[in-house]
Amino acid sequence: MGHSAKQKNKKSPVKSPPLKKPLLQQIEVDETRNYSLWNFWVASTALKILLFPGYYSTDFDVHRNWMAITKKLPLKEWYFEKTSQWTLDYPPFFAYFEWFLAQFVPKAAIEDGCLDIVSVGMFGIPTIYYQRCTVILSEIVLFVVLQVYVNKSKMSEKSANFVVASSIVLSPGFLIVDHIHFQYNGFLFGILIASIVSAKFEHYLLCGFFFSVALCFKHIFLYLAPSFFVFLLRAYILNFDSSFKFKSYKNLFELVHWTRLFKLAGVVLSTFAVCFLPFARDYEQLLSRLFPFNRGLTHAYWAPNFWALYSFVDKILTVAVMKISQHTNKLDFLFKKCHLFTHWGHNNLDEVINTGTRGLVQDVTFEILPQIPPKITFTLTLFYQVIAVLPVLFAPTFKRFIGSLTLCGYSSFLFGWHVHEKAIMLVIIPFSFLVISDRRLLTPFRLVTAAGYVSLFPLLYTSQDFLLKILYVTIWCLIYFVALRDITKISSSIERRVWFFDRMAIVYIITLLPLIVACGTIDIMRVSEKFEFLSLMLYSVYCALGVGSSWLGLSWLYNFDEPLWEE
Amino acid sequence: MGSSSKKPETLVLEARNDATKESAATTTQTGIESKEAFYASPLYDFLSPFKLVTHQWEAKYIIVLFALILKCAVGLGSYSGYNTPPLFGDFEAQRHWMELTINLPLSQWYWFDTHYWGLDYPPLTAYHSYILGYLGFFLNNKRANWFTLDESRGHEDLDLKSFMRFSVILSEVLLYIPGVIYMCKWIGKQTKQSPINQYIAAAAILLQPSLILVDNGHFQYNCVMLGLTVYAINNLLDEFYAAAAACFVFAICFKQMALFYSPIFFAYLLRKSLFQWNLGRFLLIGLATVSSFVLCFLPLYLLGGGLSNVIQSIHRIFPFGRGLFEDKVANFWCVSNIVVKYREVFSNEELKLYSLVLTLAGLLPSMLVIFFWPKKHLLLYALASCSMSFFLFGFQVHEKTILLPLLPITLLYTSSNRSVVSMVSWINNVGLFSLWPLLQKDGLQLQYVVIFCLSNWLIGNFSFVTPKSLFPKWLTPGPSVSQVSATYKRRTLLPRSIFWKLVIIISYVAMGITHMLDLWVLPPEKYPDLWVVLNCSVSCMCYMLFWLWTNYKLFSLRNQSFQSH
Repeated sequence: MGHSAKQKNKKSPVKSPPLKKPLLQQIEVDETRNYSLWNFWVASTALKILLFPGYYSTDFDVHRNWMAITKKLPLKEWYFEKTSQWTLDYPPFFAYFEWFLAQFVPKAAIEDGCLDIVSVGMFGIPTIYYQRCTVILSEIVLFVVLQVYVNKSKMSEKSANFVVASSIVLSPGFLIVDHIHFQYNGFLFGILIASIVSAKFEHYLLCGFFFSVALCFKHIFLYLAPSFFVFLLRAYILNFDSSFKFKSYKNLFELVHWTRLFKLAGVVLSTFAVCFLPFARDYEQLLSRLFPFNRGLTHAYWAPNFWALYSFVDKILTVAVMKISQHTNKLDFLFKKCHLFTHWGHNNLDEVINTGTRGLVQDVTFEILPQIPPKITFTLTLFYQVIAVLPVLFAPTFKRFIGSLTLCGYSSFLFGWHVHEKAIMLVIIPFSFLVISDRRLLTPFRLVTAAGYVSLFPLLYTSQDFLLKILYVTIWCLIYFVALRDITKISSSIERRVWFFDRMAIVYIITLLPLIVACGTIDIMRVSEKFEFLSLMLYSVYCALGVGSSWLGLSWLYNFDEPLWEE
Repeated sequence: MGSSSKKPETLVLEARNDATKESAATTTQTGIESKEAFYASPLYDFLSPFKLVTHQWEAKYIIVLFALILKCAVGLGSYSGYNTPPLFGDFEAQRHWMELTINLPLSQWYWFDTHYWGLDYPPLTAYHSYILGYLGFFLNNKRANWFTLDESRGHEDLDLKSFMRFSVILSEVLLYIPGVIYMCKWIGKQTKQSPINQYIAAAAILLQPSLILVDNGHFQYNCVMLGLTVYAINNLLDEFYAAAAACFVFAICFKQMALFYSPIFFAYLLRKSLFQWNLGRFLLIGLATVSSFVLCFLPLYLLGGGLSNVIQSIHRIFPFGRGLFEDKVANFWCVSNIVVKYREVFSNEELKLYSLVLTLAGLLPSMLVIFFWPKKHLLLYALASCSMSFFLFGFQVHEKTILLPLLPITLLYTSSNRSVVSMVSWINNVGLFSLWPLLQKDGLQLQYVVIFCLSNWLIGNFSFVTPKSLFPKWLTPGPSVSQVSATYKRRTLLPRSIFWKLVIIISYVAMGITHMLDLWVLPPEKYPDLWVVLNCSVSCMCYMLFWLWTNYKLFSLRNQSFQSH
């Protein structure tokens, strides 16, 4: 210890200016502050209303159609209706939610075609304004949950928790995906965060309840389920306190808090019952809607995950092979096994490059590298999730739980089947709760937020949002990168921070800006058909590097750094 | 072990905490409220985390980025003349100027098809259009459908709109925003405001609702001319007189409307040079003025076929052939026209003369004060008064012209006097209100409402609506992070004097009634413009009163300075 303290003294003038710390500690002790998200809500709502006339994606029509289905049809037909290609594929709670929204549609919007079951929605301004309003109003859940989180936290933690809460409510992810692209993530993540918050304050029943509700709203949260399961099992149900001694098998029976088990099971199962029982007769149809396995490995454009890098390598190899074989046919025998040559005759170079990046939901085939069946993606995801969850089984602290939650999000995002770029929120939201606990977590957090939010940019491909999205992400990063640095505790093992990686991360993040500008210019100039894919590929590959390295950084700290995880 | 090693450090920290806490407490009690007009407003709340010296740099970027985000968001809305052939609107005019400047030789710019949005602004606007036109041409990848000569008339597509919106924001970032921030810092230092309060004032100025809605909504490039004027004022504050003259000439050469400010600049510069027997300075100012004019017009002469081109441009810039006023506008002529039908009683020539006389009479007090008391703290008041009298009594004034008086008025947000700030925010709201008919025509109603609410809320105009009473306590409504105590109640933003309180409240009620009539009651068939006229009359009354107030201020502050008031 003496040694490390010495080292610290030597380094501190260079690394962290001593002035910064006291002033921020002052904020922490201050009891007069009000820590309220109120002003943030007002200001951000004004901005969100200004976005009404802007761009919205096909998801808008999806939700409009669901509203029409739930309003116009009896419950048992909800999951069979397929007039529009945007069939209902969220769990029943979300369908109930849409039904609820459909009750309040104003007359102008109904006349406008808001509640018509048609193959392509025909609607105008009233519908748009109404649905946009429902997003803003439903998002209040998120604000309320986080306000409760801040209010309930200890005085010493309040300012840090407030930074986290405000960073989430102002997250560019929600602004881009909910208020421009159009979805209800703010509301859904509000419920998820409610379960995280209840876990923090050790209300385990509530935690289980909220998580199962969240699950019944959007089944993508299944990816986080292992972590919740293990945490609740170990922290709430199993009884491993010091009094446990194995004498006979009877003792094993005492390992379980049976009343707690029944309470939790009751809560969770009744939630699921309310959700799914009305559809019990048609469960097969429901399941086929919820889990459509006929989709491809990568989504419309490559989400910045492992498979993006994989496809990129494949493309490079393809181009290389084609270039080589154009010059010499002698190498043919080397590549005979390659998939490429099975349709050699009709493929030309551009076509090969363009597949998989054209923005179509289609099967991706790799030319050189082996094909990826779903089984492999699930195995990989599960493997990394198990690794993430195991430590929670041994030491079920809140911090570890959040760590495992974040890593579960990462593994599903990085290795999952048909991952949407929007799923990055599954990583960022839990990570926000974790990052305040140690400054070394800041580098991975910065990487994943910067890369993650930038990777959402191709969602808004119209030129009108170009400047807006850049400015918003910039201001968010500016505020919260600094605020989080100020608020995070410098752990005793600060010397082990690797200077080089931190600087690399900053260089990486700053380089995102020229990348965005270059891609934007390419897009607006529409140089040629050949470059149609280029900006998308640049986005996903570059962002995948950021997300991937942030995952490596967090995994390293999670698995190999002890002092960080002590309470 | 870890905790034991930390202990001495935390002790030191606590000691420091106490010190800073105490100092903070004393300042809160004694002076902040009297000193900082925006104390406890939401803007104060948002920016207070950046109070520390180490964080002040952030505040600057945050206010600028926030203002830009809002401008982008307003830009998502419609623009003037959207989808209304054959003439469209100001958007098409600006696009058309880009089209003709990049396609035609300089000699034809002021001659080309003057009936369809012919170029009628001074040469700097033309050069500005030329540069932006080339940028757009490049981004459009030379497919040229944005700016093909003749063919592109009335061209509307989303990418073009985005580009044009972007070009306004670009001009603003380069020319308007730095000047405003510089001035806020300069005046803030003189009046000993805290740095964070300087940035709050800057934010309040950058979020001026009328300019956002006209430039980024309706579509114009007023920010360029206004920005150049701000640079000119900054140079006056820094006592770089020749530079001030040059900047001001550039402002005039961008948009002739900047002439509204010219009497004050003229009087101030004259007094500071010739009447202080500083002949060198006088010559320098003269040289700067003449050479910047020459610089602007020289290309027209050299490249554009000689003197006739210059004369044509001047002829285009000053169209005295037009009438006293065109659309409904909240100035003296249009409003009193309800009673006296000027155009039936007098000829156009006579009206020109009367309006000139009235305008001169109106601006004389401010000009005289600035001439005899050439003090820096009077400049903004004088500019406000002078340009307001141009607006009220001038010839051929548009409703958008209110932006000119509003610039120096809004810059008065830098004042540390609460009453001044409240007058400024009031007249800003009146200005926005007077733009309503225009914005309604453009389809910018949503933006109008949101920007009105947001800009007023941010500077604390709505703090009399305390969310604390409306919402349950566990939701913790109220300030976010600032150290304003929970019991502190911010006074409403009204001036101290009873008279002005009354005037302001009555005017707000009148504005509210006008809006409601406009929304729910159809005007009688005989007077389809009745609500617009009502709007103009209410605004005109407010402007008149405010103009009197600026003159009163000029007179009462004439012997003071930045430090003393």
